[in-house]
Amino acid sequence: MQIDKFAGMVKFSLSESERATIEDQSRVLVDSFGLLKNIDTDGVDAMFTVLDIKNVLREDVVAKNISKETLLSNAPEQYGGYFQVPKTVD
Amino acid sequence: MSGLVALEDCIMQKDMPITVGSKILDGFVSPVNATIVNRLMDSGYEIAGKTAMDEFCVPSFFDESGEALDAIQVVSEGRAQYALSNDVFGKYRKQAAENGCCYIRPTYGTVSRFGLVQSVSSMDQIGVVCKNLSDGFALLSKIAGRDSKDGAMFSEENYSYAASVKDIRVGVPKSLSDFGLAENFRTVDIELEYFDVYRQVMYILCCAELGNNISRYDGIKFGYRAPDFRGINDLYTKTRSEGFGANVKLAAIMGAMVLSQDWYTPYYEKAMKIRRLIKESLRFDDYDVIAMPCQISENPYENLSLFAPAALAGLPSVSFPHNGKGIQLIANVKREDLLLSAWEVCK
Amino acid sequence: MKYETVMGLEVHVELATETKLFCSCSAKFGADANENVCPACCGMPGTPPVTNKKAVELALAAALVTNSKITPVMTFDKKNYFYPDLPSGCQITQLFAPICRDGWVEIETSEGRRKITLAQIHIEEDAGKLVHDNRIGASLVDFNRTSVPLVEIVSNPDFRTAEEVVAYLEKLRVLLSFAGVSDCKMQEGSMRCDVNISVREKGSSELGTRTEIKNMNSLKAIASAIAFESGRQINALETGSEALVQETRRWDDNIGETFSMREKEGVADYRYFPNPEIMPIEIDDAWISYVRENLPEPAHDKFIRLTEKLGLSDYDSNIIIGSKNLADIFDGTLKHFDNPKEVVNWIIVELLSIAKGDNKGEDDIKIDCRKFAKIMELVDNKTINRAVAKKLLLLVWKDGIDPEQYVEENQLGMVNDTGLIEKTIKDVLVEQASSVEQYKAGNTKLFNFLVGQVMKKLAGKADPKAINELLAKHLE
Repeated sequence: MQIDKFAGMVKFSLSESERATIEDQSRVLVDSFGLLKNIDTDGVDAMFTVLDIKNVLREDVVAKNISKETLLSNAPEQYGGYFQVPKTVD
Repeated sequence: MSGLVALEDCIMQKDMPITVGSKILDGFVSPVNATIVNRLMDSGYEIAGKTAMDEFCVPSFFDESGEALDAIQVVSEGRAQYALSNDVFGKYRKQAAENGCCYIRPTYGTVSRFGLVQSVSSMDQIGVVCKNLSDGFALLSKIAGRDSKDGAMFSEENYSYAASVKDIRVGVPKSLSDFGLAENFRTVDIELEYFDVYRQVMYILCCAELGNNISRYDGIKFGYRAPDFRGINDLYTKTRSEGFGANVKLAAIMGAMVLSQDWYTPYYEKAMKIRRLIKESLRFDDYDVIAMPCQISENPYENLSLFAPAALAGLPSVSFPHNGKGIQLIANVKREDLLLSAWEVCK
Repeated sequence: MKYETVMGLEVHVELATETKLFCSCSAKFGADANENVCPACCGMPGTPPVTNKKAVELALAAALVTNSKITPVMTFDKKNYFYPDLPSGCQITQLFAPICRDGWVEIETSEGRRKITLAQIHIEEDAGKLVHDNRIGASLVDFNRTSVPLVEIVSNPDFRTAEEVVAYLEKLRVLLSFAGVSDCKMQEGSMRCDVNISVREKGSSELGTRTEIKNMNSLKAIASAIAFESGRQINALETGSEALVQETRRWDDNIGETFSMREKEGVADYRYFPNPEIMPIEIDDAWISYVRENLPEPAHDKFIRLTEKLGLSDYDSNIIIGSKNLADIFDGTLKHFDNPKEVVNWIIVELLSIAKGDNKGEDDIKIDCRKFAKIMELVDNKTINRAVAKKLLLLVWKDGIDPEQYVEENQLGMVNDTGLIEKTIKDVLVEQASSVEQYKAGNTKLFNFLVGQVMKKLAGKADPKAINELLAKHLE
């Protein structure tokens, strides 16, 4: 299985032992998924929420509930009112 | 109304650190109060403190020895009268009933999740650990009801919970254990169609949503950041590899897998379709509640099937000790009254 | 061999809402870094999205003016990828059930009129902004634009020439800005365009290898990028100098070339899935009618009103409806000063030239219509003359003065005292005796010189018409 490929998608790099465990466990899980094939789902709509609720909407009115300082106070690294990260371009 | 309420460490309190059982949130201080925290305080309850939890609510499905049971223990030991937790995978339903407590998982979409750290958005549900269900439901009546800050809720502003019916018809799945419920109830043998795939559907949907919900933790805005890195991609990878534990990593990797191009249709979309079939199969026509055990196997992944129907179909469920075992009752949407009625008969 | 270029456009347009798509932060352009940011739009947990109704209605307006088929129940999805400007590690967008599909827009080029067909329009949230700081050797993230609502208008590969592309973008700008959907300013990034482009032998029905060009922020840049890229692709096919690959290329406006944005990880797998935190949105006929009935006057209707009802020339009317902003200024001013010709003249002759002097385009002009109209009124009732009025307009533009109060405080009112004007004329005729003689000898050009002398003595505040008449009388 392409564990490293999927791990890369979610930004994990796995140690040897982590990879071995996850490979074992994912094999068990994926094997169990095989049963899904037996179920006839022709014409069934996918359900992404169980709620039968529509149109939960908000009026377009500005509300400010947090200061910039509070927001930035959680940042591991900040500079001049910005969140700082390593350079993303050369 | 009064009482001490412990909060699982995924419920946000303004200006308080919150960890969700994870190193990834190191140093994070919540800028907001969860809506339910405000409602508890407005109703005269007192916050007792935080309880430890499995990282992002994800237990191990291969070995349950390391499980965090703090939310159950504070109530069973009397350090708090109630504990609120996120009942995603059902472990609190099991553990409460096995440790002399009760658990209420209310109907999905009736309790605000503003200020609850997301694990599995379509199933995350704040529930109550309590000593008895009448007190638990009294507390619930103070926190349930629509919140304009949560876009996935029913429109009712308030819910009151009261026992209603005397003569309750209990559906007992044939294949699962018998609780001797026939003494007190009219029991009906039922068959849970799709039971064989409950846990698979549940796991597939959960790992995808969880993997997505934890993408926000990247070492940029808040929380843990790896000390050494070279470039942005390395910052992400080191931060996340060091910040998350084994169970969450497994889930997120499985989540990426089931959402990836070749897997989406045969697995993720398929699971969403079967979810609809499961919900529609739980008809509550010739039975009012379903009774389920809290354990059928030593294998936690197999036990997941017991907790899947309430989570997948958004149904209310309670658990409590009964005849020396943990029992779990499930009712139709917003029919908590039936659960309370059934519990009163049992007690 | 003859080649043709085939292009499809992805146009992103920022919706003109007050707040963001999923939280109540201000969506205003130009605030200080991270000023308009809250826990939700910087990706903090526990803050679920709640959809902005206005954004849906503006997107609905976009669907209507592009003749699109509206989806009865639309949903939102999550698109997964990591980038520092994307705080939750995913973008909320619409893949499975976008707000509408199958629209069309009619364009007019030198070849005549034709319809451009649209595949779909979907609503999505914008990303933040990255600033690269060389002094500290780091990138800095500003989340002000994060979660600002956009619609992405995806056309079919219907375009063959850059002229068609430009005509289409102009048409979209007019349609959307007049419908109030967006201000559509390319420079500020509220309208952005990516071009999918490939070339093929003329007559072939198969599409060639396409590239996607990004980072063009003017119509001129788009036309140049298309010319460069189709040339590059044709050259590659003819000479075999390079193999064409499907890729994203960045337009560099200074160099005038496109450059490959080499993506290391190959084709990205965005792992789209339906967003369980956002309930489906049902768009019923009543809602569609409501939005339709409340659409502002479209540009075409406005043109007919200007020419047929208000009697303006086609030329003037076209200038006014070329910009939603100008059209708003016209209507706003007309409300206070009911003389369409005068208002149009003041806009086209005076206001536009003042704006041009400040390097401002039609869409960037900001003027208080009440004050603008007041200036016209003061001229009309002969309180001030045109020269003073022009000065006043400049002061309103620069300092926002109140024209009426300013005239009073600075005594700029016209001299309407005929006696004073006549006395001044007499003085001038004495002082300028030689000019008067030359005038009488037939040098009629000197009349204007004499008018000027009188005006000068009256500090520029007299009605030139009155001076003309009185001076003529005195020179008889």
